[in-house]
Amino acid sequence: MLSKRKILFASGFALIAICLIAFSLFSAEKEIDFNSQVKPILNKKCITCHGGVKQQGGFSVLFREEALANTKSGKPAIIPGNPDSSEFIKRIKSDDPEERMPYKHPALNNDEIDILSTWVKQGAKWGNHWAYVSVKPTEVPEVDNDWVRNDLDKFIFAKLEENKLTPSKTADKATLLRRVSLDLIGTYPSEKLAKFYLNTKDEQKAYEVLVDSLLTSPKFGERWATMWLDIARYADTKGYESDPNRNIWSYRDWVIKAYNKDMPYNQFITDQIAGDLFPNPSDEQYIATAFSRNTSTNDEGGTNNEEFRTAAVLDRVNATWEGLMSTTFSCVQCHAHPYDPFKHDEYYKFMSYFNNTRDEDVSAEYPLFKKFNDSLQNQFNNLISWVKTVSGKERADQMSLFLKTGQPAINSTTADEMVNSVIGNHNIALYFKNNSAARLKGVNLEGVDQLILRYNCTKPNGTMSLHLGSPNGPLIKSWKADVTKGNQNISIDFAKQSGVKDVYLKYTNASVKNPDEFMVYFDWFYFTKQFPGVGKPDYISYKKTFIDLMNVQVPTTPIMVENPESMRRKNYVFVRGAWTSKGKEVNVGVPKSLAFAMPKNAPNNRMGLAMWLTDKRNPLVSRTMVNRLWEQLYGAGLVETLEDMGTQGMAPTHQELLDFMAYQLMYKYNWSIKKMLKEMVMMATYRQDSKVTEELKEKDLFNKFYARGSRIRLSAEQLRDQSLAVCGVLSTKMYGPPVMPWQPEGIWFSPYNGDKWRLSAGEDKYRRGIYTYWKRTAPYPSAIAFDGASRIVCSPRRIRTNTPLQALVTLNDSVYVDLARKLALRMEKVGGSTSTSKISKGYELILYKPIPQNRLKVFEDLYTKAFASFKKDGASASAFMGDKQKKYKPEEAALVLVANAMLNLDEVITKN
Amino acid sequence: MTRDELNAYRLIKEAQEAEALLQSRRHFLKESAMGLGALAMGSLLGGCGNFFSSPQTKIAYDPAHPLLAKSPPFVGKAKSVIYLHMAGAPSQLELFDFKPELMKMDGQDCPPSLLAGKKFAFITGVPKMLGPQATFAKHGQSGALVSDNLPHFSTMVDEVSFLKAVKTDQFNHAPAQLLVHTGSPRLGRPSMGSWVTYGLGSENQNLPGYVVLTSGGSFPDAGKSVWGSGFLPSVYQGVQCRSEGDPVLFIKDPDGMNRDLRKASIEAINKANEQQYQEYNDPEILSRIAQYEMAYRMQISAPEVMNINDEPAYIHEMYGTQPGKACFANNVLLARKLVEKGVRYVQLFDWGWDAHGDSPGNSLNIGLKNKCRSIDRPITALLLDLKQRGLLEETLVVWGGEFGRTPMMENRNGIQNPFKGRDHHTEAFTIWMAGGGIKKGFTHGETDEIGYSAISGKVDAFDIQATILNQLGFDHEQFTYPFQGRPFRLTDVAGKVISEIVA
Repeated sequence: MLSKRKILFASGFALIAICLIAFSLFSAEKEIDFNSQVKPILNKKCITCHGGVKQQGGFSVLFREEALANTKSGKPAIIPGNPDSSEFIKRIKSDDPEERMPYKHPALNNDEIDILSTWVKQGAKWGNHWAYVSVKPTEVPEVDNDWVRNDLDKFIFAKLEENKLTPSKTADKATLLRRVSLDLIGTYPSEKLAKFYLNTKDEQKAYEVLVDSLLTSPKFGERWATMWLDIARYADTKGYESDPNRNIWSYRDWVIKAYNKDMPYNQFITDQIAGDLFPNPSDEQYIATAFSRNTSTNDEGGTNNEEFRTAAVLDRVNATWEGLMSTTFSCVQCHAHPYDPFKHDEYYKFMSYFNNTRDEDVSAEYPLFKKFNDSLQNQFNNLISWVKTVSGKERADQMSLFLKTGQPAINSTTADEMVNSVIGNHNIALYFKNNSAARLKGVNLEGVDQLILRYNCTKPNGTMSLHLGSPNGPLIKSWKADVTKGNQNISIDFAKQSGVKDVYLKYTNASVKNPDEFMVYFDWFYFTKQFPGVGKPDYISYKKTFIDLMNVQVPTTPIMVENPESMRRKNYVFVRGAWTSKGKEVNVGVPKSLAFAMPKNAPNNRMGLAMWLTDKRNPLVSRTMVNRLWEQLYGAGLVETLEDMGTQGMAPTHQELLDFMAYQLMYKYNWSIKKMLKEMVMMATYRQDSKVTEELKEKDLFNKFYARGSRIRLSAEQLRDQSLAVCGVLSTKMYGPPVMPWQPEGIWFSPYNGDKWRLSAGEDKYRRGIYTYWKRTAPYPSAIAFDGASRIVCSPRRIRTNTPLQALVTLNDSVYVDLARKLALRMEKVGGSTSTSKISKGYELILYKPIPQNRLKVFEDLYTKAFASFKKDGASASAFMGDKQKKYKPEEAALVLVANAMLNLDEVITKN
Repeated sequence: MTRDELNAYRLIKEAQEAEALLQSRRHFLKESAMGLGALAMGSLLGGCGNFFSSPQTKIAYDPAHPLLAKSPPFVGKAKSVIYLHMAGAPSQLELFDFKPELMKMDGQDCPPSLLAGKKFAFITGVPKMLGPQATFAKHGQSGALVSDNLPHFSTMVDEVSFLKAVKTDQFNHAPAQLLVHTGSPRLGRPSMGSWVTYGLGSENQNLPGYVVLTSGGSFPDAGKSVWGSGFLPSVYQGVQCRSEGDPVLFIKDPDGMNRDLRKASIEAINKANEQQYQEYNDPEILSRIAQYEMAYRMQISAPEVMNINDEPAYIHEMYGTQPGKACFANNVLLARKLVEKGVRYVQLFDWGWDAHGDSPGNSLNIGLKNKCRSIDRPITALLLDLKQRGLLEETLVVWGGEFGRTPMMENRNGIQNPFKGRDHHTEAFTIWMAGGGIKKGFTHGETDEIGYSAISGKVDAFDIQATILNQLGFDHEQFTYPFQGRPFRLTDVAGKVISEIVA
């Protein structure tokens, strides 16, 4: 030690001299920016071995405190201010292949080494990634140019100028009409609106009217809900192996309505994350929480309900982050995030928000929200207000919650200590044989004097009893168990109880001889108080109302209901992400790197989470949404990786614009999506022609600077809805159960599931794509061919592809052949008398503009060939027209063939 | 660079060729009629590694002709792959890995040393050991052990290499299947067939280069993502072909439309699209034109190749086919036909191997035996048939599941299952390979005396992937695709060619 110090001392002067020189060299240097200069090098070259996953040598560059901490060698690798004695710098400069980092990979180049050295010298300061800093007001670039139509354009124009590019002229009216209609309502506008726009001279004014009209169209909600359902992983089945039906379409309808009434985005999120936690949730708020119930549930025999309940909770965490906050949080399930500042236990703190609800992966999908019709709702309202009067608000709220959601009930699948009884298939329900018993653990009996239970008893003359503490503990009550008509709700009254205790349920039946026969099947247990107001006027009639409402069969939707205090779950870190190996206990919380002081009244539950998400200081929620809206219009987000705005995502092409819009969304438009969208489509940028000039092909083929309009292949839903509209058959019916338009045989092949695709009748065959029945393991094939999301988990982005199988869909799918016939009928009807005029009309019906001469020639030739062929072979004309018994003119069949070809044009499948 | 960017970057480089091609193309049908012409074009456009100085294998991707045959970086022994995946994971202990010691332990409590710190999908508490539920004998010159569950296949052991010490780290079906086929247990990576068709294209432009056939009544647990293309261009995703209904969805022309009319109609569409390209100059339009051409050719070829009715009776007999049904035997015969036609990668999934013992169909004594019966003749016939056609040497056949099964009898929540079954097991299972330059009559790897752990010759999914790529002429460490800022490869950061089984 001493000798080392001497050497150090001896070399001190030399060092000082070097430092002075270095200082004079470096002092002129600009401050190194961590985010733009250092972090990319660390991410690319260091972090795979020294980050959230691996910490080779005990060294990690993920967080500053880790990077400056002692490594395995006992010393820190980075010494701020002193690159030369920092092992970190020595190693990247070393010549020894065993020493030099990155180990066994190409060395850093001199620029990179310089950046890192200077950075260490300047103190190795950490920076916050731009997307993790709250949105601040952004200055609008000074632009003086007539092309610009609003502030957003100024950002685009400034960047274009910087890159010596000039914007394109405004697209022609027909192109623009089609573009903005497909973007805002996902299909074509009414003929009247289209005509108005095309025929009005004052384009600027007409365009605004068009935009405003589209924004108020009920079709608007259908189009934007389609986007949201990918985030919400909405589907009409439960997922996993057998993938049976699920009735959750009222959630889909809620989303459509929310978009149509322009529900502010902060409320939109709050209702979905925590609608059930409002003081008196409306029906709509309950249904909104189905957002989180779109998770897959597993009914497969032998699966563990707790495992799949946990999987669903994890999925809620991941969907919230990927869909609402463009962050790949799922990495953190197993270890600290490899690149971004999220720690392993922060995942589980966040998960705790979602880990306290009543859903337990039971096949009945409890809790279910019961939707009463008006008359039932009236009875319900009267009952609740009567109960409030006679027994107070608390009792009224309890009853209201129970009647609307059936909660908080104990699922029979959670029973244990079973004697002569089983949980059927390990996950269905509690089954009793004769002389059987089971325990309901830790039941809150405080003030309880009634059990309502739902069960199916198949034998007469049995006796059921409830005991406290042990199977032979004090009797709470015994009763004669009658045969029920299937599952029935039965109320059992007993003396008032207290405390939290184990309750044992016993059954015996002297008349049954077979000891192996199952005879009682339990669904759930609800411990409560007897109906209040004994002796009060109307007691009897209200009690009857209560029983009627409890038993009434109405449409239901899976929703979120929070556990009462006595059922609160504990939360643990899962070691390496495995739910079976629980680590330390944690409480709710958001990651420290994104935390800010929450208001005092913010509760530690999903409502508190919603408050954090929708707080204007949350840096990710507003940015993610405007980025997503932009992507929907332009085909790519300003941050292209919609799933990841973190340091591994793509860098934004126009960060200031993104921030400006995020700020606008929150502060100027109070989270109004319609206002934000209007601003976006009113941009000159949006309205540009999409032709690719040679210059642009060379300089900006991907249109990252927006010197032209975007050309994007239509989404699966847009394609269907456009085709239905131009062929004149699009149903305007909204909402309700999903429909089954034509699909080929043999698509549904889930194990253990006999469900069949049943072709819908009448106009249901021609509903918009959003209403098509979506089966997770076997989605509608033509939608999948056009990159529809499978909706198994949150899909923040659809990647567009171009394959021959898409061609086969629009050429041959019976749906499209049928549509071609319908289009031909329209051409026939409104297209004048000659084949030429009919063909021209068809093109115009699809694209709003006259057919160019060269295209007309192509289709006239095709028509002539088809005519000759069908004339020669009348039978095939009949077959082609879909009715072999009927005779058709060759002209008719030839026109259908032309219509089929037209529906396949690139300019039809693409939004120009 | 994103995928779109990369594609387009390559596209710019080849824009001139593509445009020249467009100009000279009068009738695309002419081109398809001259398969040789297309191949010559392939060698022009689709150069390979030696064009580049970088060690990484660069694949020339031509968006207008994405499936043109390309040469691998070095000469591979195999030209195509048939991968037979038994979804649900067959028990190695009832098929290939004979453990007399386990028989002695039958019915005893599982020793605590085998349970400490281990996770199982279902087993909890102390399960009982379960002896082999089949009779084994040595077969062939190599003396390989095969049980009486596979009497036909046991005559073929001198053609195959067994890997008896395969390990995985995924104990649920979907993630384990994804790991085997995409190199990652999570969704989103390209499957092996996608990598292979991306790297090699296909010998037949009129069929998909990568075909998937399923049987057993269900798709594999991991769904369609096990044949997805991940971040590779989607044209490389597996195309599911069906032996019932249309062989490929929507492949059939509408009723009453003859081929001449379809041809005329596609020509009209493409002519109009060319006009559109002249106006808009967007390369994506060229790509669409190419896709319509391919769709047309596929319409002719796919139904032909998917029709097994014209095969001679002895072939049907040999494979044990059931014409008109979607069954494994039919799919195996189709696989042979497809590779014969130049399809690069044929992936079969046969569902129903998950012998937990929770039901008769899922038991070792009933369900597993039935499943074995349904594959025994077809897999035997496949090897024989490929051999008699001289195709076995250039076709790599792989058979296996996603993990193994426990030497313990399964219990659930401590309750013995009603039938004899085994839980999912990650520590050791058997996969075999044949043809395509793989050693004949060879066994690599060994498990301990009860078949619980691998003790020598351990390999994992990455090693198998590395070996498959090696047989096709790729160094798995150099075969990469740039995505999200870094080069990705099928084997991620792992994998070693199993040189012991390479002939």
